[in-house]
Amino acid sequence: MEKLPLGLALDLRKVVPYETGSWRTLMPVNIMQTPPCNQDCPAGNDIRGFLRTLAEKKDYEAAWHVLTRTNPLPAICGRVCPHPCEDGCNRRDFDSPVAINSAERAVGDYGLEENLEHKKLIAHRKEKVAVIGSGPAGLSCAFHLAKRGFQVKIFEAYGEPGGMMRYGIPSYRLPNYVLRQELENIWKLGIELECNIKVGVNIPMDQLIQTHDAVFVGIGAQTGLTIDIPGQDAGNVFSGVEFLRDVNSGKYVDVGKDVVVIGGGNTAMDCARVAKRLGANVSVVYRRTRVEMPAITAEIDEAMEERVMFRYHTNPVKIIQDDDKVVGILSVQMELKEPDASGRARPVPIPGSESVIPADTVILATGQAVDYDGIEVHKRDNKWISANENLMTSIDGVFAGGDAVLGLETVSAAIGQGTRAASAIEDYIDGGVESRLSSPPVIYSKDLNTYYYNKKRRFQKEALPIHMRLKHFKELYPALDFEAIIDEAERCFSCGLCFNCGNCFMYCPDNAVRISEKTGLYEFDLDFCKGCGLCAKECPCRYIQMTLEK
Amino acid sequence: MREQSKYLEGVDKKDLFASGHRACGGCGQALAARLVADAAGENTIACVATGCLEVFSGPYPDPSWRIPFLHSLFENASAVASGVDAAYKALKKGPVNIIAQGGDGSTADIGFQSISGMFERGHNVLYVCYDNEAYMNTGVQRSSFTPYGARTSTTPTGNTTRKKNMPMLAADHGIPYVATATVDDFRDLQLKIRKALTIEGPKYIHILAPCPLGWGHHGELTVEICRLAKDTGLFPVYEIIDGKVTNVRKIPVKVPVEEYLKPQGRFKHLFKKGVPTKEVDVIQEIANQNIERFNL
Amino acid sequence: MLKQIEGSHAVAHVVAQCRPNVISAYPITPQTHIVEELAEIVGAGQLDAEFVNVESEFSAASVVLGASAAGARAYTATSSQGLLLMSEVIYCIAGMRLPIVMTCANRAISAPLSIWNDQQDSMAVRDAGWIQLHAEDNQEASDLHVQAFKIAERTFLPVMVCMDGFILTHAFEPVDIPEQKEVDDFLPTFKPRHIVDPRWPRGIGLFADPRFYMETRYILHRALEKSEETIKEVSSEFAKTFGRESGGFIKAYKLEEADVVVISMGSVVGTIKELIDQLEEEGKKVGLLQICSYRPFPRHEVYRALKDKMNIVVLEKCISLGRGGILASDVRWSFPRAEKKDRDISSFVAGLGGRNISIDDLRYMVEKVEKEPVEFEFLGLKEELIAEKDM
Repeated sequence: MEKLPLGLALDLRKVVPYETGSWRTLMPVNIMQTPPCNQDCPAGNDIRGFLRTLAEKKDYEAAWHVLTRTNPLPAICGRVCPHPCEDGCNRRDFDSPVAINSAERAVGDYGLEENLEHKKLIAHRKEKVAVIGSGPAGLSCAFHLAKRGFQVKIFEAYGEPGGMMRYGIPSYRLPNYVLRQELENIWKLGIELECNIKVGVNIPMDQLIQTHDAVFVGIGAQTGLTIDIPGQDAGNVFSGVEFLRDVNSGKYVDVGKDVVVIGGGNTAMDCARVAKRLGANVSVVYRRTRVEMPAITAEIDEAMEERVMFRYHTNPVKIIQDDDKVVGILSVQMELKEPDASGRARPVPIPGSESVIPADTVILATGQAVDYDGIEVHKRDNKWISANENLMTSIDGVFAGGDAVLGLETVSAAIGQGTRAASAIEDYIDGGVESRLSSPPVIYSKDLNTYYYNKKRRFQKEALPIHMRLKHFKELYPALDFEAIIDEAERCFSCGLCFNCGNCFMYCPDNAVRISEKTGLYEFDLDFCKGCGLCAKECPCRYIQMTLEK
Repeated sequence: MREQSKYLEGVDKKDLFASGHRACGGCGQALAARLVADAAGENTIACVATGCLEVFSGPYPDPSWRIPFLHSLFENASAVASGVDAAYKALKKGPVNIIAQGGDGSTADIGFQSISGMFERGHNVLYVCYDNEAYMNTGVQRSSFTPYGARTSTTPTGNTTRKKNMPMLAADHGIPYVATATVDDFRDLQLKIRKALTIEGPKYIHILAPCPLGWGHHGELTVEICRLAKDTGLFPVYEIIDGKVTNVRKIPVKVPVEEYLKPQGRFKHLFKKGVPTKEVDVIQEIANQNIERFNL
Repeated sequence: MLKQIEGSHAVAHVVAQCRPNVISAYPITPQTHIVEELAEIVGAGQLDAEFVNVESEFSAASVVLGASAAGARAYTATSSQGLLLMSEVIYCIAGMRLPIVMTCANRAISAPLSIWNDQQDSMAVRDAGWIQLHAEDNQEASDLHVQAFKIAERTFLPVMVCMDGFILTHAFEPVDIPEQKEVDDFLPTFKPRHIVDPRWPRGIGLFADPRFYMETRYILHRALEKSEETIKEVSSEFAKTFGRESGGFIKAYKLEEADVVVISMGSVVGTIKELIDQLEEEGKKVGLLQICSYRPFPRHEVYRALKDKMNIVVLEKCISLGRGGILASDVRWSFPRAEKKDRDISSFVAGLGGRNISIDDLRYMVEKVEKEPVEFEFLGLKEELIAEKDM
């Protein structure tokens, strides 16, 4: 036993601290939670991950690798995604959501500028997978499988790969070079591509099934649906898909002076704005109001900025033609009654409200469907491919995803499906393994301690001025400032994951939060922690929670 | 090794007041004592008054202090520190940071004479008061820092007097530096400690240090309560440099005093079935007066 | 060099020669002249020390506590109420083993207020763990301070030098004030062993729970007991260096042949010696045992000196109210139980609150105990002032 020193004056360098851990009834634990942005991302991106990488390391290359773990097309998504992630962003309740979409574009663009390359996870596997369609779903599926070493071959019906990204999205939204470069980068993983092969027509489906270990069907919804309206066979009457495909393929389309677009979806907006750029006066005719329009809000806003006319409560009755050529449409005004089965207000014609809208071209953007030519699978509502939760169709070993399964959805949703399908295909090939991970609970703004965040203005991307936009098909949003995007990334709350703010470290009255020598991360010293919960309370992002002591 | 968090630049964490003390969970004073010791650094002598801090941090053979620690009595920390200062001057040793520390009782009540003497004599000593607004060590009895309305074990129906304004009393001694701080803003607190230690002569820093046991709030709320004390105006944070009030912390969004009072058991009797009694109005008035006086 | 000098000033000069680093005191009669003179000496640049003017004796004691804990040789002086106000700190200084030297200019305690001499004040803190040395005259008072620093710094025990207020402090007597060099040679520089210093962080004044407290008291008690050796050593070193006897444990005067032995301490022993000489001429054998070190109490020395003496009378300037003579109790306790029986130990209290102790009072006392032992008596009490009901 240590002898009592003179005057009980103790050498403080020899003190063995008294352990207070046994006082604890509650114990702090680190719990990584799912941020709403990640939860809401249809492509399954680790949004928090890439934003924090930008914010903490200011490293675009690292951020690009985080993003491309899930998404092979960040530069594309950063342009065309309607970013549901931003809708869920917890910052919305604080000031305004993080401009995730712009950040994604900046990271994607950086990858293109620096020619960053994807890394293979597994060098080689002998199994072969056929992917039908090179749209976002097919590309995503092929990408993930190729990264895991599978032998992937894509069959594309059209002359060039990309699906709707190539033929549906106008180049002022998605410049061709961006698509080309991101695809080239994917090919580097060793994916084989064969264009102008329409499976079911040029090559039987069965043959693919027999020669491959699995097949992925990502054929999209390439057929424009028309409405039953007299005069729709007239010249200069197009379906939306057809019109966009023609323009994007560089075909000369003479739309004349007045263009009427019928419909309120994204395709309608794209058609209207493309027609505007071809020099026409454009009207969008829609039966209901703006509120019911299925198009992305930003797209409607931009169309309005570009002086596209919107005629709400208007229903086309007949296409009026003169000498086989469209001269206008007869339309009737509608009023909205109680909702129909789709939940939207049901439009009913007002008698005697007919009028004529002059038109040199009429575009019917009234829906799309899957082209099943030669492909026999079970369908849902007799319309979309029926797939189980693993995205397998009615045929064993044949998986499907994207618009053909989902109905009309976004690029990101298609990427997400491709990713899921790739994982399901791997499990299928490996024999009944199910490798789905359950994600931790989502964290909402009420769970955060927002005291530690500062209000900061959201990054605002600047569109070309209106008069500049309509002269050409140049990209609407010029290149983003990388520095400004890092500032924007710093706005990320890092919901549910430590961002090294140090609050727990500084606030623990017992100094029971240490920096781990092994990991460099904060860890709890349970020999001393009294379980007061101060660290959990003052953790801005709720990465720390208190649980009952065992 | 992880890089020092950019959020902690300019903040000191050396654990010179180490783990193993016997304070309650969430103790504001333990937190404050570490922030003070770490900001002051190794070249510091702590002269501590008897009280909670000394009792929970100074038991033989495992005290929490890693800087020299000197304790003798409840009411004499300032005088002992004066003696250390005199010794360093006489022996021509130093420079060294001498920090006298005490709770509100040893500062404003029993030790008031001693602190006043130390200020008046002009010793090169920083006095840090950990204000938890009552005699916590002995079981929550009223001190002259106990705020109006607060229930303590010797004011069972609520305190009827107002809190002694120690920072102003300190400043009126003509000392060069006086500041108030709270444990939630560790950066501000440590800046003030470091700043004070660069100034020759007596200094006074008054730190609001919530006591979960005595105030009747959950330990996890210690930081939150400080914030509310500031944002209601009940605890103004400022400096007094050469007699002039300066660097007053502005309240970002003013908070009604009820929000500060409600989480605390010591003010529970001020709400009858959730409805505030007239004492709450008095407390709001005190907050308003502070807001006006310091232009918070 | 022999100087006709006021007692307080003599002490001040000798203290200054001991080169304390920090001096702190608060004015109280009859101590004031000591620190006033020290302030003069420091002010004149004759002593390089910090002189801290405090706002109370409590702070004076606390300042020297802090200074000593920081490695300084520290000195304070007080009296009466001042000492009582210090008492909390007094206990701490001893418990923390800080070798502080203090002068107590002995004075009565209120109420009623009295600024005059008795020894009640130092008695009130006799159990605090300090060495208490009592001076007979101003020469011894001065000499004891030189010894006190040496004893304190060897034993890490604080030393209180007690000198009777006014009777010594304000008396002009010839005092041999040593040369500075002599003092420097006698008193080595202070080498502290436990101080607050950032280079070797120590916790001083930690609290001790029941596992440790009792041992700390035991150690302190034993340290006081063991300081006997040091007190004697230093006293004889002093005698060797300065050529005169001062301090030590006890001193005897005409003790060997004595039939009656008077025991006392402080300045009153001068008058007692005078009486003894007178009585000797009258053919009575009376002796004196002077207590120099009241704490530690020289129990064994007292026993050895008095084991053959059967008639002993203790005269003291203090009282344990409701109990009687304090020194008398200490003396009675010095004899083994078996030897107490046939021995007469009488107890007298005298000179409270500055009441003069005349040689006639003392003669009365000796003559009374010659006849029969006196359990306890107030010497020189004016019974005419006391109402019947208060008797």
